[in-house]
Amino acid sequence: MKNIVTVAALVALVAALGAVPWLGSAPIVQFGINALLVATLAQGWNIIGGYTGYASFGNSVFYGLGTYGTAIAMANYHLPFGVGLVCGAVLGVACALLFGLPILRLRGPYFAIATLGLSAVMGALVSNLDIAGRNIGLILPLFRGDELFYELALGLLVLATLTVFWVSRSRFGAGLVAIRENEDAAAVMGINTTLYKVLALALAGFFSALAGGIHAYWITFIDPSSAFDSTLNVKMVIMAVFGGPGTVFGPVIGAFLLSGISELLASNVSTVASLFYGLVIVLAVVFMPKGLVDMGGGVRRLGWKYFIQNIRQNRL
Amino acid sequence: MELFAQIVVNGMLLGGLYGLMALGMGLVWGVLNIVNLAHGALIMLGGYAVYYLYTGAGIDPFAALPIAMLALFCFGFVLQKLLLNLIVRSALLNTLLITFGLDVVFTYLAQLAFSADFRTINPPYAGNNFSFVGLTIPVGRLAAFAVALLLAGLLWLFLERTRTGRAIRATAQNLTAARLYGVNPKTIYALTFGIGAALAGAAGGLYGVVGQITPYIGVTLTAKSFVIAILGGLDKPLGVIAGGIALGVAEALTALYIGPTYTDVIGFGLLVLVLVSRPAQIFERA
Amino acid sequence: MSAVPNTSPIFEARGLAKNFRGLTALAEISFSLNRGEILGLIGPNGAGKTTLVSLISGTLLPTVGELLFEGRRIETLPSYRRAHLGIGRTFQVMKPFPGLSVLENVTVGALFGKDGGLHNRVRARERARQWLEFTGLGARVEQRADALGGPDRKRLELAKALAMQPTLLLLDEVMAGLNATEVDEVVALIKKIRDEGVTILVIEHVMKAIRNLSDRLLVLHHGQMIAEGKPGEVLEDPRVVEAYLGKRRT
Repeated sequence: MKNIVTVAALVALVAALGAVPWLGSAPIVQFGINALLVATLAQGWNIIGGYTGYASFGNSVFYGLGTYGTAIAMANYHLPFGVGLVCGAVLGVACALLFGLPILRLRGPYFAIATLGLSAVMGALVSNLDIAGRNIGLILPLFRGDELFYELALGLLVLATLTVFWVSRSRFGAGLVAIRENEDAAAVMGINTTLYKVLALALAGFFSALAGGIHAYWITFIDPSSAFDSTLNVKMVIMAVFGGPGTVFGPVIGAFLLSGISELLASNVSTVASLFYGLVIVLAVVFMPKGLVDMGGGVRRLGWKYFIQNIRQNRL
Repeated sequence: MELFAQIVVNGMLLGGLYGLMALGMGLVWGVLNIVNLAHGALIMLGGYAVYYLYTGAGIDPFAALPIAMLALFCFGFVLQKLLLNLIVRSALLNTLLITFGLDVVFTYLAQLAFSADFRTINPPYAGNNFSFVGLTIPVGRLAAFAVALLLAGLLWLFLERTRTGRAIRATAQNLTAARLYGVNPKTIYALTFGIGAALAGAAGGLYGVVGQITPYIGVTLTAKSFVIAILGGLDKPLGVIAGGIALGVAEALTALYIGPTYTDVIGFGLLVLVLVSRPAQIFERA
Repeated sequence: MSAVPNTSPIFEARGLAKNFRGLTALAEISFSLNRGEILGLIGPNGAGKTTLVSLISGTLLPTVGELLFEGRRIETLPSYRRAHLGIGRTFQVMKPFPGLSVLENVTVGALFGKDGGLHNRVRARERARQWLEFTGLGARVEQRADALGGPDRKRLELAKALAMQPTLLLLDEVMAGLNATEVDEVVALIKKIRDEGVTILVIEHVMKAIRNLSDRLLVLHHGQMIAEGKPGEVLEDPRVVEAYLGKRRT
């Protein structure tokens, strides 16, 4: 059980983050919304990639479906935002359940590329649908008030993190980790691996879709390439892995840190941001392949030797 | 009917080049178990190398290919020896991530060095066509196809008939056993990656003759190579070329009968169908 | 008046066969297991012993044949369902959860085993500790599973299966690579497990141990059952001797 002080500190942190729209400038709020949404994506990925060990490179498909579900409901049918979000979430979860079953039979890079393929195919399909506005996209009703979107995004991240916390403590989560560590053994010990994997993917889909829905209403205008944005796929994976896959806070820390530094660099030298991402990834994989959270503990225990140990464990 | 045949032939010719693109990726994946997401960037760099050899030094592109291949071989060899050998035993996800990071770095540096302008390699004869049983065959594409087949054949011979080639195959199957036979894995790995890079470089040079080069072509080409490599069986050169031709034809037919917006996607669609319908063979390799 | 003991076999295989693309791994095996007995399964390498165990645990599905566990047909059930019914197994090529601690490894067994296991992680951990003490790993509960040495890995494999509270335990070469003292310890352990009421099927190559341990022996060779009965008789059977040592050249 987390002790009272930690819980109190976390609540205070969330409250402080919640106060940002009234304390910070408009650009900071916008940065915040983006960072919160991508952190949610990273947490969603964490459930299927970090805990279950099925590294998806296509979770943007759920984000895109959430985007379009919300947009179609609001732009074409003039339904309220809440209903739109539900539509988006339903689409995302349905996709996870429908395609998860066959795709989760694959392992390793085959699973990764199948998810990537799913995302690409879905994007192409949607760009050919009239109801989705084809390649032109859709325009949602305008809503002025970034504060709402910020609080919604924060709320979603908190919900996602609480869910990951529950996963880390529950029998379900123990099953996911067992699947990651040795799927054959997990099956023989009584875990319904197919069900668990699909549920994990559905959870990831749920949160990713909601993030997409919030994003859609916020930016008002969506089209296939921005909704099924493939750069999001790698971003969420890198953030989760950099921060610490299979931990409760790792992806959040990774997302905020990488978003923040990238933003700082981008405001000074715009193209350097991508170079920065690239170098960070390369160095992180070599020196801290288990993420920031593990590095924190490792450095405390071993100092500099932690990094050398990582290399020695992984080199030829 | 003639249109159909023309489309199929176009697809085949391009498909041979696709196969060449995937050869290097499949080899590295099959032997080193590294899925190189920067493979497309290596193709791109090869393309620029041939471009500058042609426009700068006046060397005919097909003659420049070996030079570019050598340059990329050295680049790949060093990259593997100094960097990638450090993470080879890490989780597969990590090899995906590090090569992704490298892809980002290479793309950025290429953009810095070469600008984002479209480049093409246009030797005077490449634009000529000749007729064959009523079909129009562009010379450039035919030459690219021929070179692709040649290199695939050479790779196959190398792997099957030379000592080093056999050492590479042994390392792919069982690293420990290969070590016991005196194979130095660090060198073999660097050699293999170097060969993969060299093949990518050749593909890049040819790609510049039949298409356009920008710093950003890497991602799409990596994705295509990935698909073809799996379809072709990773480190089986003849299978990969066949996979490339299959994809080339599929793309051409898709453009004609379904719609051009789907061509990029047909590869993935095919792959997902294939993977999902024959899992047993996939598990054997995985 | 005492209750009538349940004398029907706990497990039955009828006409069980397994083909792999033309290769016959097992050919029409039929046998039964009585509650509380220890059945030894022996035979030269490649005889089909692990295949048989995999068919019982659900890792493989049979080509033909029926499997009955406590009167229920189970040959079409997936392995996790069979685990819930009470069938547990160890693997010859061990399958620990490498990144997890010894305790967490065994807790998985307690969480998901017979009847779906425990649903409370705290209680499951407690049960795991008990089984770890039972198998002699009490001092190593916090160690990472991939940091264990050979004999301890075997104990871990055993503890994981035991934490599932199985009624039928399938052991696949748990004594391979152990020295004489360690073998004796494992034999004593297996007998203790049987005393807890578990029916056990043991694959082994260590002849002294299997003779000591088994109530009955079953011998496989080239996928066929060539002998069955009490250890003393079976091990003298000329067909069994021939299977292990080869035909005598005259």
